[in-house]
Amino acid sequence: MEILGYLTLGIFLTLMLLTLFGYIRTPVQTVLVMSTILCLIVGGIFRFAYSGWDAVMLLPNEFLGGIILHPITALLTGLFLAGGLKASGGFEALKVILRYLRRSPIGLVGTLVILINLPVISSLPCGRILAAALLPLLFTFGFEGGLGILTKSQLIVLIGAFTRNAMGSCGPSPIGGVGQIGEGFLGSFFPTASEGILRAPQAFSLMLGTAIVAIFLKMISQRLYPEDVALREAPPSAEGVERKEPEIVAPLEGYLALAIFVLSLLTAIFQPFGKMPVQSVLVAGALLMIVVCRIRLTHLMEGIILLPVTAMASGFLAAGALAATGGFDALGTLLNSLVKVPFLGVAGMLAIFVQFQTILPLSCARILTAALVPVLYLFGPAKFAFLDWSQLAIVMAAYIINATTSCGPSPLGGGGMMGEGTMRAETGFIKGAYTFASMAIMAPLAAIYMKFMNLKVFQPSDPSFVKDITTIMEFALAVVAVNLFLIFLSRRVLGTDSSRNFYFQLIGFLTAGALAGGILAFALFETNATAILQGVAGGIVAAMLIGLMVPRTLSRRMTATLSGPEM
Amino acid sequence: MSDQEKRVQIGEKRQDTKQPTVLPGIHRYQFFTNLKDRGWTLNLDRVALFGIVTALLATVLKPLFHGNAATIYCYECRACYATQDRCPVGIMFQAELAVAGRVLDYDRFIRNGGLKCIRCGNCQSYCVQYLPLPRMFEIMQDDTRSAIRNGIVPRYSLERAMNEGLVGKEFIDDVVKALA
Repeated sequence: MEILGYLTLGIFLTLMLLTLFGYIRTPVQTVLVMSTILCLIVGGIFRFAYSGWDAVMLLPNEFLGGIILHPITALLTGLFLAGGLKASGGFEALKVILRYLRRSPIGLVGTLVILINLPVISSLPCGRILAAALLPLLFTFGFEGGLGILTKSQLIVLIGAFTRNAMGSCGPSPIGGVGQIGEGFLGSFFPTASEGILRAPQAFSLMLGTAIVAIFLKMISQRLYPEDVALREAPPSAEGVERKEPEIVAPLEGYLALAIFVLSLLTAIFQPFGKMPVQSVLVAGALLMIVVCRIRLTHLMEGIILLPVTAMASGFLAAGALAATGGFDALGTLLNSLVKVPFLGVAGMLAIFVQFQTILPLSCARILTAALVPVLYLFGPAKFAFLDWSQLAIVMAAYIINATTSCGPSPLGGGGMMGEGTMRAETGFIKGAYTFASMAIMAPLAAIYMKFMNLKVFQPSDPSFVKDITTIMEFALAVVAVNLFLIFLSRRVLGTDSSRNFYFQLIGFLTAGALAGGILAFALFETNATAILQGVAGGIVAAMLIGLMVPRTLSRRMTATLSGPEM
Repeated sequence: MSDQEKRVQIGEKRQDTKQPTVLPGIHRYQFFTNLKDRGWTLNLDRVALFGIVTALLATVLKPLFHGNAATIYCYECRACYATQDRCPVGIMFQAELAVAGRVLDYDRFIRNGGLKCIRCGNCQSYCVQYLPLPRMFEIMQDDTRSAIRNGIVPRYSLERAMNEGLVGKEFIDDVVKALA
């Protein structure tokens, strides 16, 4: 039966890669459902041959187990609330508040920085909830949106950075976030892990990663794909003319809706009335909006965006089919076998493992996380004993932040596409920036943070708090500085030849990947030179896979999609 | 058709307001290809969407009809794994039992020790939502027992459970009878 797992894994990976590279041009949901059906058919045939008809009949039950209802329902209720906010004028109220903030001492830049980091501050179980609510608002900062405060380039950076932050905020979420899957497994050794052992490393690295994304979008992406964002600049006639900001008047219902929205989020996060599902809180908030703000149910329904919901659901179906047919077992075995590759070893294999979800970004991080975290757990003392518990926690921190941010660069209905849609960019515009930050900044920094801070907090045997803070700061500065240098260097060498640009970018990815792998190995095995070299090798392999997936050009593929099939 | 004409045609398609809306006021190709240009995949897309909706409905309705509605609320956050050796029968992955209960996945339930659970409730205190885990597992145990008696559970699943000591004394007779 082992061969079945490899077969179904092959089907899934082939279909995903063909879609990622644009050879299959149907909606991602269709591809994922087709992958599910194919895997189930193959699985059914094998089961019939080996275990008879009864085993085949149980296959539907088993693959349905792949569906994780929580993020789907949380997203739906969040979108519900966002619809209410829009209908009642809540966004207008938010604009008014933002105007006051801009005029405060923190100014425009401070306001935008707060806005960009709002997702990680609120940490909802799916980043799309806040993204759906706030992306239309961010769009208004540009010329086309009406306010005209930001240029096209600035708006790209704002939307891109915000979306990056949002599509990673599901990691540190304490209300059913992706990180809780890892915390659950770590709970097998750290009794209080489920109280948030992975939360701070994720939030810390996500904030720094967001900043790097902003710089990457500004310096690299806009140079690589200059024609692929359809946002408009202010017309030349408007330049130099003092632009009068339109007066924004928000209705009272808008302020009330905004207050209900914020209170609902706070209630969901802090649970002051006892434990209750986030969905119940958000639906209660939506009902309150209907009563207080006099909006209709249809207004709430209008907020629902089906793409992320169906993409996520179809991803879970595909994952369920893979799990039921042994596809994930095969993947675990394959990753495990990397240990035997001489230049990789355990450190190299782990350097690839933590980046796996960025290598294969799917519409929701949970799809692969639910399958791969148990594999990672088995690398620890529970089975293979490659790692002790502390080392497992460090790898888990790096893996989880990399995983949770993987829906951002996914062109298969990932959350980042909402940002691309808002900035009117072609699919893949943000991929380089998002994958670079996840790989080069977030994964290594989360590992370092876990090693020098959280493990000490959760196991307070070493009280050298200030020394550890300093160490984290030093690592953060070094990692950020090296990556900034790479970005600035790349900016200087980029030209008009897309192939040449692609190879320069790939070299940048490889360098950053090597550094990330080395740091991860250091966090795990400290000054073991062999392990660090193996980590560097693993980091380079992972970076190559990630870098090769970054689109060379965007327009050609999109043009092909727009033109339709050759008849 | 010249390149210029092709460009104009593509430009027109981009402005086509009849495309699906993906964000308020935003019509884009990037999420769904324009279905009117995709005659051969139109029905395929519809079938896929129908499949997704059906699967979601099944996932929600199934536990409701089986009286195990609490399983719907499981975050699958795995906080219950912190039970560790406080589980008297050594079940390690309680969330697996909750998911198996939701979709009636007997093999998953048995494989993860569902049939040896004595419903002591020690794991419940670790659940971030304080879901009634013992009750959820009890309902699934009853369902599994019925399935074993009706010969629905595959033989290999029961054999493995017996070999690995995953069957509690409440269920041993049923399993032995099914294997006989």
